[in-house]
Amino acid sequence: MNVVDLTLTAFANTLRSKLRTALTVLAIVIGAFTLALTTGLGAGINQYVDDMVAGFGEEDQIYVMPGGDMEAGQAATSGPQEYDPDAGGSSEQMWGQQMLSEEDIETIESIDGITNVDPIVFVTADYLETPDGDQYALNELGLPADAGAMELAAGERPDRDAMEITVPETWLAAFDDSTEAYEDVDPNSVLGETVEIGISNMLGEQSTLEAEIVGVSEQAISGIGGAPMPSQALNQELYDIQTSGLEVEQEEAYIQAVADVENLAENEAEIKAALQEEGLAGMTLEDLLGVIQGIIDTVTWVLSGFALIALLAASFGIVNTLLMSVQERTREIGLMKALGMSSGKVFGLFSMEAVVIGVMGSIIGAGAGVIVGLVGNAWLTGGPLSNVAGLVLYAVDPLGLLGICALIIVIAFLAGTLPASRAAKKDPIEALRYE
Amino acid sequence: MSSPVLETENLVKVYGRGPARFDALKGLTFEIHQGESVAIVGKSGSGKSTLMHLLALLDAPSSGVVALEGRPVTALKPKEVSRLRNETFGFVFQQFFLNPNQTVLENVTLPLKIAGVSKSERNQRGMDALEQLEMADKATNKATDLSGGQKQRVCIARALINNPSVLFADEPTGNLDSATSETVEEILFGLHRERGITLVVVTHDDDLAAKCQRRLIMQDGMIVAEETGAAPASAAAPQVPTAAPQPRRRGLLPFGRRKGGRA
Repeated sequence: MNVVDLTLTAFANTLRSKLRTALTVLAIVIGAFTLALTTGLGAGINQYVDDMVAGFGEEDQIYVMPGGDMEAGQAATSGPQEYDPDAGGSSEQMWGQQMLSEEDIETIESIDGITNVDPIVFVTADYLETPDGDQYALNELGLPADAGAMELAAGERPDRDAMEITVPETWLAAFDDSTEAYEDVDPNSVLGETVEIGISNMLGEQSTLEAEIVGVSEQAISGIGGAPMPSQALNQELYDIQTSGLEVEQEEAYIQAVADVENLAENEAEIKAALQEEGLAGMTLEDLLGVIQGIIDTVTWVLSGFALIALLAASFGIVNTLLMSVQERTREIGLMKALGMSSGKVFGLFSMEAVVIGVMGSIIGAGAGVIVGLVGNAWLTGGPLSNVAGLVLYAVDPLGLLGICALIIVIAFLAGTLPASRAAKKDPIEALRYE
Repeated sequence: MSSPVLETENLVKVYGRGPARFDALKGLTFEIHQGESVAIVGKSGSGKSTLMHLLALLDAPSSGVVALEGRPVTALKPKEVSRLRNETFGFVFQQFFLNPNQTVLENVTLPLKIAGVSKSERNQRGMDALEQLEMADKATNKATDLSGGQKQRVCIARALINNPSVLFADEPTGNLDSATSETVEEILFGLHRERGITLVVVTHDDDLAAKCQRRLIMQDGMIVAEETGAAPASAAAPQVPTAAPQPRRRGLLPFGRRKGGRA
């Protein structure tokens, strides 16, 4: 019997008792469906996270925090620390959190490979005035350090040293009187417009700064891009105004600083070590997102583990079905052997039936998983989660799907070996006598 | 009738051991020549089915040799034996053993499918075989829709499809009424005469046996009589001959026949 005939015969045999085959296949389908869905979910979210990292790719940045922060975050090894009055000099406390001082910023700047350090400052401006003269409350401003991760609908990111700003696309209606819905406004139409930002100093005296709109942002799942994002220079100017007015010179304190690094990939370990020596901790964006991806991967694996258990149960279904089939077809097996079919081919025929069941189950299950995943993704990202720009919940991972199908086929084949070897061992004379 | 197509030497088959030991065949030595028609006759339990299974290479003897076309096959690998069976033998069974889910044509071409012949050639040869047996119009019917005689004709078509040199028929008319039996017998002996196929018929039907050129009459695992000559009067076939001729011995080792072989 050649391979084509073997396969076709196996396929025809599985269709003999359709209900039984259908139920066996269904069990496989459930496993395949779950696996296709979980891996696709993992792939989708990881792809989204990767997209966010890709935004930072050329920026080569490292986030610097006071060392204590990191230790608090990684408390596994740290016991209570002895108080050292001199150690307090380099970092300050604010709201119970360790802060970076000017001194620290200078220290960071002096580390080899770091070209520039921007402390992260929080600016609270009063309003944003459009060219038409309308004023809108500015409850929140984006952090310039996040600019790299921002998804843009149009234009570009604000230039570091220029007085530039981006606005979220939800603000577009403010620049166009003809419509209320921001979706109707062409994002490119606001590029180049000049806006005024009003801000108060410590005494409550208001002043304004002008900035040019260079980009329109989409809000990402992290919230980045959901508020107007000033350039580093604009942000610093605003901060200077905000903190001015008092006679007393105030000690500067920052929660975090963003350091630009030359060739991050090569110098990462060195710079982190240097920062640690100074009692500081450095994290790249990949470190931060790596934690998220690690969690996503873990969840994916746990879910896939459940799917594998379902597959294991389904494989016993295959064993059961084929054992019944072998029993029912004892005389047929005897005839085939009497007519010169070798035991190897009989084994091949029955294990091929198991493989056929596996193929049907995996294709239907994986196909259903992909369809449900894509439809669900389209529905969720288009509906309840539509305000999260660039969100991908489900991605088709062709290699992963092939792997799932291959895995299921291997499991099906293994499940088929027991019934198939029973069939192969049958003695033709005994089998032909079987009633 | 030149060379022996099948020959046996001291063929012994023993089932079980110890007190449950049963000697089904007690040292048979004979030849079946190319183009011969041979009937193996005997009551049930005489060992005729066991002998046919050994001749047809469906079973291995406990000792002794079966040779096909002068070549001993006992030592061959199972795979090789399967191939020989597929290429050299045709089988006609009492119970037909047709696959009810498949069409007549699919049933007939099963040996070719096992041999790995391509589908188009299979169907061509299958239709040829069915035409010879005047069953071509039933080719696409399911095997279950046929009468007993038609089923046996399909069975014969299946047995003929790979142009076997030996056709084994195990009680080929056992499940058929006398009129249909007549037709099936005519077909079998027609094939024997016209195509020179060696025919080995296992039966307890004296009429069928009488149509064969030679009859091996078996009793208790031994050939107790051997008759030659086609179609004597049907009553002339004695069930228990008074003087049992000794089977020829050709083996080098003397074969000690057990007395009262059945335990």
